[in-house]
Amino acid sequence: MSEKIYALLLRLFPSHFREAYGEEALQLFRDRARDEKGFFPGVRLWLDLLSDLVWSVPREYFHMQPALVGATTLRRLDGMPLFFILEDESPRLGALLLGSAFSLAAVGTISVLITQVGSYHTFRPWKFERQRSASARSSSFKTPATRAVGDAGDKAAASRQPANSTASLPPGDTQPGDVQSNTLLFEDRAESSRPQVPPSGAQNAVAATNRVVNEDATLDASERHRVIVGAIITLKEHYVYPDVAQKMAIALLAREKSGEDDKVTEGRAFAALLTRQMREVSPDKHLELVYSQDPLPQHLTEPTAEELARYREAMEKQNCTFEKVEILPSNIGYLKLNSFPDPSVCRTTATAAMASLNHANAIIFDLRDNHGGEPEMVALMAAYLFDHPEYWYNPRENTTQQSWTRSPVPGNKLADKPVYILTSAGTFSGAEQFCYDLKMLKRATLIGETTGGGAHAGVFHRIDDHFGMGIPETKPINPFSKTDWAETGVEPDVKVKAADALETAKKLAQSKLAKE
Amino acid sequence: MPKRKLDPLPSAAFQILLSLAGEDLHGYGIMRQVAEQTDGRMRLGPGTLYSSIQTLLEEKFIEEVDRREDARLGQERRRYYRLTSAGRKLARSEAERLADLLRPARAKKILRGDYV
Repeated sequence: MSEKIYALLLRLFPSHFREAYGEEALQLFRDRARDEKGFFPGVRLWLDLLSDLVWSVPREYFHMQPALVGATTLRRLDGMPLFFILEDESPRLGALLLGSAFSLAAVGTISVLITQVGSYHTFRPWKFERQRSASARSSSFKTPATRAVGDAGDKAAASRQPANSTASLPPGDTQPGDVQSNTLLFEDRAESSRPQVPPSGAQNAVAATNRVVNEDATLDASERHRVIVGAIITLKEHYVYPDVAQKMAIALLAREKSGEDDKVTEGRAFAALLTRQMREVSPDKHLELVYSQDPLPQHLTEPTAEELARYREAMEKQNCTFEKVEILPSNIGYLKLNSFPDPSVCRTTATAAMASLNHANAIIFDLRDNHGGEPEMVALMAAYLFDHPEYWYNPRENTTQQSWTRSPVPGNKLADKPVYILTSAGTFSGAEQFCYDLKMLKRATLIGETTGGGAHAGVFHRIDDHFGMGIPETKPINPFSKTDWAETGVEPDVKVKAADALETAKKLAQSKLAKE
Repeated sequence: MPKRKLDPLPSAAFQILLSLAGEDLHGYGIMRQVAEQTDGRMRLGPGTLYSSIQTLLEEKFIEEVDRREDARLGQERRRYYRLTSAGRKLARSEAERLADLLRPARAKKILRGDYV
C-alpha cells in the first residue's frame, strides 16, 4: 500500500527523472521500508520522503532543460527545411503557473481597458498630488476643499486651487464676497463678478483632449465608474486611516453595483452622493468629493517671484487687511481684521497694530469680514492673548512645536485683558480657528452670528478635470471636543445680528470694565 | 540534459563521493553509508540521492559498474556506482577546502582538538 502511494508521489518528478531512476527510487523505498520497521522508523521514513519530495521536485524541474533529440539523425538536405523536436516532456510546473498568471493578467487588463476606454486620465492624480508639498506648513487655510458639498462646492473647489496666481498665495481663503478688495490676488475666485480667467494654452490643450464633462453633459455609467475608481485610488493613497479607506472603497463599489448611483447624472449631485456614501462608512466631515464645473487646474505651482511681489504690493495697499486699528471710548481697543495674511509679508503690520492697542483695557477683534488666511498669522495674533505658551489647535496639522502659541510676547500687556470677537456667517476658515480656539480656551467672548463652518482639514486631490477630493492626511489632536467647526461653524457666546455685534461688544466690555 | 552546478560542491554530493571512497555501492548502500558516516544526520531521500548521482555521473566523478545482486537484500539486480579518479580528486580538494576553513577556527580556539 505505502509503496503504491510512494509510486504515485514519484509521478511528481519530471519524466526524464522517472525514466532514469524511478525504479531505483522505488527499490530504495522498499529497502528502507523493509529495514525500518515499527512506528517511529516508519514515521521517520515518511518524513524523510516527504521532505525529500519538497526539495527535489522543484529542483528537478528547475534544472531541467529540454534536450533536442533526433537532431543527429536528421540529414541536412539541400533546400529542405530541417526540423528539431523537443523531448517528449510535459510543460514545466513553473511554466504552467507563469502562463496562467500571464493569461489572468492579460484578461484583467483587457477588461479594465474596455470599461475605462477613453478615460485614461483617471489615473493621473498620483502625479498631481506629488507636487503638493507634504509638509504640514502647506496646509494653510487657503488649501482647497470646500464648504458644504453642494453648496459652493463646485466653485470653491476650482477657485481654491487656482491655476496660477494664488496656488500657494496667502491669504487664500477669501470668498467671492471680498473680491472688491482683493481682485488683484483673487481673480480666480471672482466668478461672481467677473468671467473666469481662461486657462493657459497648455491647459486648453489638455481640456480639449480630455473628455470634458461640461455643464450640460450628463454622467454615464462609465464616467461614474471612472470617478469612483479615481476616488478609491485617492482614498487609498492619502486617507489618514487606511482601514477606513478600504471600507469606503468597498462601500463605494457595492453601492455602484447595487445601482444606487444609476439615477444620478449630474456632476454636483454625484459628488454629493459619493461624499454621503463615504461618510456613511465613517462620518468624517473633512472628507468630501467635490465637483467643479470649470476644469480643475492640472498642476499646482509654487508662487513665482512676480506673484509674491504682486501679493506684497496688494498687502501694502490694504495695510495687510488690518482695516481699522483704533481705541474706542473706555479705552477699548478695536481691531478690524479682514484676513490673516502671510506673516512673512505682514508681520510688521501685525506687530505694529497690536502694539498700538497694547495699553487698551479690553480688545475687540472684528472678524465679521474675515474669511481666513494663514494659520501662522492666526497663531501669531493669538500669542498676544496669553502669558504662557498655550496649545493652539489646528485641525489640519499634526501636533508639533508649532501647535503652541509663542506666548508671552515681550512687552505685551494684553494677556489678561478681556477679549471680544465679532463674528458673522461670513467669518470663515482661519478666522474660525481663531474664534474656536479662543472660545474653547475661554479666552474670548464671541458676539454675533454662527460662523461659516470651514475647517478644511483635507488636502485637495484632483481626480480629473471636474472631480476632486478633500482628504484629511493628518490626525490632529483636538483637546477641546470631538468635533471642530467643520460645517457647523462656531457658535457665538452672545447671539446677535452681525450688524449689531460691535455695539453689543462695546456695551459688554464697558460694563465689565466698570465692574472692575 | 540538465547542467547542475557542482561548484560549490553540495554537501550531499560530497558525502556520496566519500561513501564511495571505500567500495562500490548501490543507491541504498550509498544512502546507508552516508547516514552512517554522518551519524544519522544526513539521510538522503531518493530524489536528492538520485539527482546527485545523476549529476556526478554526468560530470564523470562517479561511474556505473555492472548491475548485480546484493546478496543481503535479495534477488534484485542493482546498479552499482564507483568513484572515478576525478571524483576522488574532487572529494580531496573539497576536504582540503573544509580543513582550510577549520584551521582559523582551531587557531582561535573555537574548535578544540586537532582532528577534523
